[in-house]
Amino acid sequence: MLTMAIWCVGTLAEVLVLVRGFQAKLFRRFPIFYAYLLFVNLDEFARFFVYRWHTSYYFQVYWVTQFFSLAIGSAIILEIYQVALRSYPGAAKMARYLLLVVFGAILIKALTVPSESVITWVAATSLVLERNLRIVQALAILTLVSLFFWYAIPFGRNLKGILGGYSLFIGISIIQITLLYHSWDLIKPFWTYAPSLSYLLVLGIWARTLWSSQPVPEARADIRLESDYELLVASTRDQFRRAVARLGWGVRA
Amino acid sequence: MTLYLALVAAAAFVISVLLLRAGDEESEDRAVSGTHSGNRFGPVNGLQPAELASRIFSQKDREFILLMRSSRLQRLYLEERRKVALHWVRRISREVSQIMRNHRLRSRQSSNLNVTVEMKLFFLYLELRFLCGMLLLLIQLFGPHALLNLAARTGELYQQIGRALSEVGAVNRTASPGNIAAS
Repeated sequence: MLTMAIWCVGTLAEVLVLVRGFQAKLFRRFPIFYAYLLFVNLDEFARFFVYRWHTSYYFQVYWVTQFFSLAIGSAIILEIYQVALRSYPGAAKMARYLLLVVFGAILIKALTVPSESVITWVAATSLVLERNLRIVQALAILTLVSLFFWYAIPFGRNLKGILGGYSLFIGISIIQITLLYHSWDLIKPFWTYAPSLSYLLVLGIWARTLWSSQPVPEARADIRLESDYELLVASTRDQFRRAVARLGWGVRA
Repeated sequence: MTLYLALVAAAAFVISVLLLRAGDEESEDRAVSGTHSGNRFGPVNGLQPAELASRIFSQKDREFILLMRSSRLQRLYLEERRKVALHWVRRISREVSQIMRNHRLRSRQSSNLNVTVEMKLFFLYLELRFLCGMLLLLIQLFGPHALLNLAARTGELYQQIGRALSEVGAVNRTASPGNIAAS
């Protein structure tokens, strides 16, 4: 009964976020995020009906829709990157390189494991596969967030909410799947409620931050021409040189 | 593998502690002194930066105090000189952070940003901050006169920064607009 109540509240919260998104015209700014939320919402009803009336197909339906949801979820990361770095081509270029390095490292790691391990990995349970994909998502988000902080990218309340909520969702998913795989006995008593309650928390963040459309603070266009970057680097070099010279003076004295 | 991870974690921890320590002390320093540098690299209290540094770390002053043959005076001198030296290093550390901050706030909008140069700059910045952290540690542990060993390293770093940043000029001159757009 309680599980059903949590499920209903979650579904209503999703509908609420979707309705507010349409009313506040946020779906135009974040089309992939709202498509994802709509997919998840419809998916929940589909799963419910399959579970109720065609239980034998539930497993297949669950995993197929779960991986669709994971794919659209990955596109949310791309949307965050695009929206946040639209006015910052320099930071966007750095993000592309860093993400390339992260994904390259993951690919190399996957290719360098012994062949039987690859087969084992592919043949592993869907749960482990999902966890691994979630870890890749988490690494991509971590890279982007580090870069956002380094370049002091202003998010705006809406984007911050999407990013915060989705990061939390991925983090919780990784923890849950890991615990489920390794310590099932330990978490068994909480398993019925924990995933739904944590998802409610994520929906709460989205409902709060996406209630209305908030403008993203625009950056002042400090640098326009190609030569400006050269001048900037030259200026930084000059200032660094002076700082190091002073430091050198101190230790030489 | 475990040992390797432990070493990496330990190194990351030490660097973070040094950076955080430098940062914390910088803010304390700023709050206590209430000074404002104004012109970042300009004269400070009428002294040129180089002159100021040579006065802070001067061996002559210490030799002069030693001639007084008063242990109390020596102790007072070392305490005061240590405080001044720490203030000086923290201030440079703060300025280095500010330089890097200004650089990245402007470079984020540059469409022809050079990733290699930016990465080199970032690692040099980290190295500089690390050196400042080490200087702070050494001054606190051994006093302001035990820094001669770091002189050679800072000299090398200075050369590296010059080389790394001068590369960008050559790279940008040779890069065609098509190449920039494709990248």
